[in-house]
Amino acid sequence: MKVITVCGMGLGTSLILLMEVQSIAAKHGFDVSGEATDLGSALGRKCDFFVASSEIASQLASKNALIVGIKNIIDKNEIENKIVPVMQAIADKRGE
Amino acid sequence: MLLLNAIVQFLSEPAFILGLVALVGLMVLRKSVSEVVTGTLKTVLGFLIFTAGAGIIVNALIPFSTMFTAAFHLTGIVAEDNSLVAAVQISLGTVTASIMVCSFLINVFLARVTRYKYIFLTGHMMFSFAGTMAIVLDLMKISGWKAILIGSVIEGVSMVLFPALSQSSVRKVMNTDEANADTVAFGSVAKTDTVAFGSVAKTDTVAFGFWGSSWISLWGWVGGKFGNKSESTEDMKVPKSLGFLKDMAILMSIVMLVLYVVTTFFVKAADMAKISGGQNPYLFSVIQALTFTAGILVLLQGVRMFLAEIVPAFKGISEKIVPGAIPALDVPVFYGYAPIAVTIGFLATLFGSLLVIPFSRWLPVTVLPSVIGLFFMGGAVGVFGNARGGRRGAIIGGILFGITWTLMIAFAYPLINLSKYNISGLWFASPDAIIVAVVMRLVGKLFGV
Repeated sequence: MKVITVCGMGLGTSLILLMEVQSIAAKHGFDVSGEATDLGSALGRKCDFFVASSEIASQLASKNALIVGIKNIIDKNEIENKIVPVMQAIADKRGE
Repeated sequence: MLLLNAIVQFLSEPAFILGLVALVGLMVLRKSVSEVVTGTLKTVLGFLIFTAGAGIIVNALIPFSTMFTAAFHLTGIVAEDNSLVAAVQISLGTVTASIMVCSFLINVFLARVTRYKYIFLTGHMMFSFAGTMAIVLDLMKISGWKAILIGSVIEGVSMVLFPALSQSSVRKVMNTDEANADTVAFGSVAKTDTVAFGSVAKTDTVAFGFWGSSWISLWGWVGGKFGNKSESTEDMKVPKSLGFLKDMAILMSIVMLVLYVVTTFFVKAADMAKISGGQNPYLFSVIQALTFTAGILVLLQGVRMFLAEIVPAFKGISEKIVPGAIPALDVPVFYGYAPIAVTIGFLATLFGSLLVIPFSRWLPVTVLPSVIGLFFMGGAVGVFGNARGGRRGAIIGGILFGITWTLMIAFAYPLINLSKYNISGLWFASPDAIIVAVVMRLVGKLFGV
C-alpha cells in the first residue's frame, strides 16, 4: 500500500513523518511504500492513505484515500495508535 | 592519471557527489539492488531539478529588480536561502555538497563524544547552510579543500551548538502539555518531582534543527516578558477562512502578485515597456510573479527528491553510531503544540516586517515580504512566545521578530555581495546562518580577507 505524508513545504516534517510511518509499518508487518510532499502537490495525488499534522490534514480532501491527522507529530505512540488500524483496514479490504 | 582525472571531473559535479552519498547510505542501510539504483538516480535527478528551479526564479527576479529600482530608486530583495544557494551551484556546487556531507560527519562525531547528542536532520537547511558557507568563503577568497574543511567544521559545530542554545525554549514549548500532568500529581511533592523529572527527559527526545532557532527562541523569550502565560492563544478564535494560509504556494503567489503589480504601478510607462518587451505591463508582471512562485515549486520538488534519499541515510547512519541521539527537526514539529499561535505569530511577524519598509530609504537595502521565512519562523515565534507569555507573548514576540529579522538582513546585506554570481533580488534568510556568516566576514576583515 502507499502512503503520502504531507507538510507545509514537503521537505522536513513530512519526511520525518514518512520515516516514522514506514518504521511502524515494518514493525507490524505491513509493506508500505511512500512519499513526502507539500500541501499543494498532495491534492489530487493517489495513495491508500495520507498522514499529516492535524492542521495540514484539515486542509486535505480526498475521495479515495483515508486521511490521518496527527496532533503531535513527534509522539510515536499517537502515530502508531492512529495508523495501525488504518493499515489493517486497507490490508483487510485487499485480502492481504 | 586518466582515471584520476575522470574521478576528479566526476566529483566536480555536485549532483554526483550527492548521488554517491545516497548510494553509500542506501548500501549501508542494506537496501535491495533496485532500491539502491532508483534511490541514487532520484537523488541525481532531484539535484538537477533543484538547479533548474533556481534558473526560473532568478530569471523572474531580474525584471522585478529592475522595476523596483526604477520605481523607488532602491534595491529590493527577497530573503530565500534555497533559491539563492541553488543559483550558485554551477560555480560552488562541489564545495557546497562536500560541506553538507562532511558537516554531517562532524555532527555525528560531536554527538558521539560530547554530551550534546543532537543530530541535525533538516536536510534542506543543512544544504542551504553549506551553500552559505561556500559563498562566504568564496568571497573571502578561500576555495577548494580549505573551504570544505573550514565550512564543514563551522557547519558541523553549528549543527550541535544552535540546537543546544534553543533547547531550554523547546522544553518550555513542550511542557505546556505536561503542565496538566503536574497539576494532577500536585497532591504529593515527591510525586510531582517524579513527573517533572520524567517530563524533562521526555521533552529531550527532540531538538530544534532549523536555522532560525536562536532568533525564534530569543524573541519568544522577550515576548514572554510582556505577556501572561495563562492567557493562551489557543483559547482564541481564528476564522476558518484563514485556512488557505497553510498552503505555501497560494500564500506566496498572493504576496508576489501584490509586490510585482504594485511595483509596476510606480514604474514610468516608457521604462516599463522596455522591461516587458512591449507586453502589457500588468500582464507581464502577473506572469513574472507567478513564474517566480512556479520556480520555487520546481526547486522544492527537486530538493524533496534528493532529500528523500539522503535524510533517511543520514538518520540510519547516525542511529548506528550515536546511542541516545536526539534528532534536531524542522520547525513545524512545534506547531502542533499551539496551532492558533502559528497563525497569530505569522500575522504579527508579517506586520513587524512591513513596519520596517517605510524606513527603507535609510537602510542599505529594502527587504521585501519574504513569505517562506515569515511564515515558518513567524509561526514558530508565535508558538514560542505563547509558551512563555500567552497571546501577548506571541503577538509582541512576533512583531519584534519581524522588525529585527528585517533589520538584521538589511544591515548584514552589504557584508555579503552576491553580484559576482549574477544574482539580483535575492539574499539570505536564515538568522542563525546570517549571524555565523557575519561573524566570519568580520573575523576575516581582521585578517585582511
